[in-house]
Amino acid sequence: MDHRLVILGVNHRTAPVKVRERLAYAEDEIIAALGRLKIAAPAMLEAALISTCNRVEIIGVATDVQAASETALRFLADDRGVAADFRSAVYRFEGRDAARHLFRVGASLDSMVVGEPQIFGQLKLAYAQAVEAGAAGLILHRAFHRAFSVAKRVRRATLIGHGAVSVGSVAVALATQIFDTLADKTIMLMGAGQLAELVARQLKRRGVETLLVTSRTFDRAVGIARELGGTAVPFDNYRPYMKIADVVIGSMSVERPILTAADFEPILRERHYRPMFLIDLGVPRNFDERLNSFENVYLYDIDDLGQVAQQTRTSREREAEKAEAIVSEELDAFDRWLGELGLVPAIKEIRLSIEQLRDYELSRHRGWLAGLAPGEQVRVEALTRGLVNKLLHRVLAGLRSNGKMVGDGLYTAELARRLLCGNPELDADSDQDDDASDDSI
Amino acid sequence: MNSIWIAIALGCYAISSGCFFFARERDRSRLAGWGAAMLAIGALANAIDLIARGFQAGNLPVATFGDSLPFLAILVAIIGLILIVRRGLPAIGIFVALVATVASAAACVFGTRGRLVLPATLRSGWLPVHVTLAFLGYALFLLAAGVSVLYLTYEARLKAKRPLPAPGERVPSLEALDRINYHLLGWGFVMLSLAIVSGAIWADATWGRFWSWEPQESWSLVTWILYAALLESRLTVGWRGRRAAALTIAVFTVLAGSFLGLSLMHPGHHAGNFD
Repeated sequence: MDHRLVILGVNHRTAPVKVRERLAYAEDEIIAALGRLKIAAPAMLEAALISTCNRVEIIGVATDVQAASETALRFLADDRGVAADFRSAVYRFEGRDAARHLFRVGASLDSMVVGEPQIFGQLKLAYAQAVEAGAAGLILHRAFHRAFSVAKRVRRATLIGHGAVSVGSVAVALATQIFDTLADKTIMLMGAGQLAELVARQLKRRGVETLLVTSRTFDRAVGIARELGGTAVPFDNYRPYMKIADVVIGSMSVERPILTAADFEPILRERHYRPMFLIDLGVPRNFDERLNSFENVYLYDIDDLGQVAQQTRTSREREAEKAEAIVSEELDAFDRWLGELGLVPAIKEIRLSIEQLRDYELSRHRGWLAGLAPGEQVRVEALTRGLVNKLLHRVLAGLRSNGKMVGDGLYTAELARRLLCGNPELDADSDQDDDASDDSI
Repeated sequence: MNSIWIAIALGCYAISSGCFFFARERDRSRLAGWGAAMLAIGALANAIDLIARGFQAGNLPVATFGDSLPFLAILVAIIGLILIVRRGLPAIGIFVALVATVASAAACVFGTRGRLVLPATLRSGWLPVHVTLAFLGYALFLLAAGVSVLYLTYEARLKAKRPLPAPGERVPSLEALDRINYHLLGWGFVMLSLAIVSGAIWADATWGRFWSWEPQESWSLVTWILYAALLESRLTVGWRGRRAAALTIAVFTVLAGSFLGLSLMHPGHHAGNFD
């Protein structure tokens, strides 16, 4: 019976978070869960379990895929204590499709944000846990290792992981395009939106040392400043600080822009026109859009940042097409390996059988062989061995190429095994038959 | 003139231009690496050409406009390589390689064939000093203009909210470009000043007067004043970034126009007439 890769699971496309969160496993639960799965679904011969925010999947190997899937899903429902209605969200991949899915997941092609890097580590963890649980076998070892190398190849050959895809990372990327180093820069955070704090935090992580925080209520500014590691500035007296601010993040609720063109001119002059990056995250907007036309001032509002993020996503999708081609190539290689895997036992048996035949024939003629000179004995030995090897080579090469052609390599292998394997003692009768027929001539 | 080495240099520079051109399209840093390597090999061939002709002439081989071009090409290539490798600015590669290509191609066309003979007045120890300083100044100003073009390109993208033209493209920051521009201008200004001083001393030694209001002298003075004003404006009123880049390009066009115009049209000591 053929061993097939099988994947059962739900992801961000098939199931909403309220379904995924019920099925999800914590990192330290997985090894134990694999142990229980082995008992509950014995038809699943090998298994790994991956559980992330975006997917819960059982990656397994089975000969009876139907039975294995059925028991594994029943196990999942029981183990997580969820009603069976989650099954409508479950996808099942088998054979080549399963391998394709595994490769695509590893290469971050199946991710919510295509190209995001975490999934690679998560897949590695899932594999390590399957190994630790003793649930991974020959085929999963190979499948996972291929998935890892596909992921690496995709990273190397495409730009799938490049560019900023979130508003926060776009803001940071833009800051590094304007400023050479962030270490000697000053950020001014005005107001306290969640997004604004996130951007300020990311910029701080990139090395910004000085952070000024201002807010309508001073206490709030003090609170945020303490949390982010900055200095609070009273809102009624923030202007003098503007001349040292290189990045200004606006996130106040206002009716009219707090910074207008008229306010801005003197600030710029005081700054000696050093570049300024204004990030307007407020709706309604905090900064007059005309500020962008000032020299060395770069103003991005929330839509601008979103648009840049969208550009990156679009270009990542283009890169994803290249990645799919790589996945297909690797799939072919994996299929070939899997096909030959089925041949391995047959090849072993045929080799053994023909070797035995040779030994038997040599032992039958031991008598006259002993009478030969030592050099000649070696030559007879070499002659028979050469004959056997050449014959074996033809058979094995034939099996490999024809196995592909016929479609079912195992069928070919079985046929060859039946034709070529046998008991040399029984073959001895046929020798006598041959002798007899010789006599009759 | 044995033109084999300058022809090899031309070939290398042209290939280098191609490498940098295609490296721009994508994050093909390996291609940019090849561009830099070809630029270096080109500079080597260029140097061999200069040395060979220098031995022939017994001095720096810069008697005529055509002969001086390989010298300009090698200075641009070397300073360009420093920017590409040391300052991490492969984006300037295309500009550097193109300038070197054009200069060495023009040298192949306009260069003196046959044996180089320098007029008696030029066989002086001042020749290499004065010409090297002047050409270093030109090369630095030329690269400053190139960096400014880059600055304006990236700046326009950022202003227009199209900051990410190609994924993975390594774009230098505006701040870094502005600083490099400033450094190039500063060094260029120093070289130009020293070139003018050394030229005056040489003129005094040869003709008995420091300054003769020859066109090249006058124009040098004009560009010197313009560059001085450019540097001054940055330090005092803070004309940096976009405005500094635009002015760098404008002043360089004056310099380039005067250099080319005088070299090609106007007779004088600097154009190879020494009677």
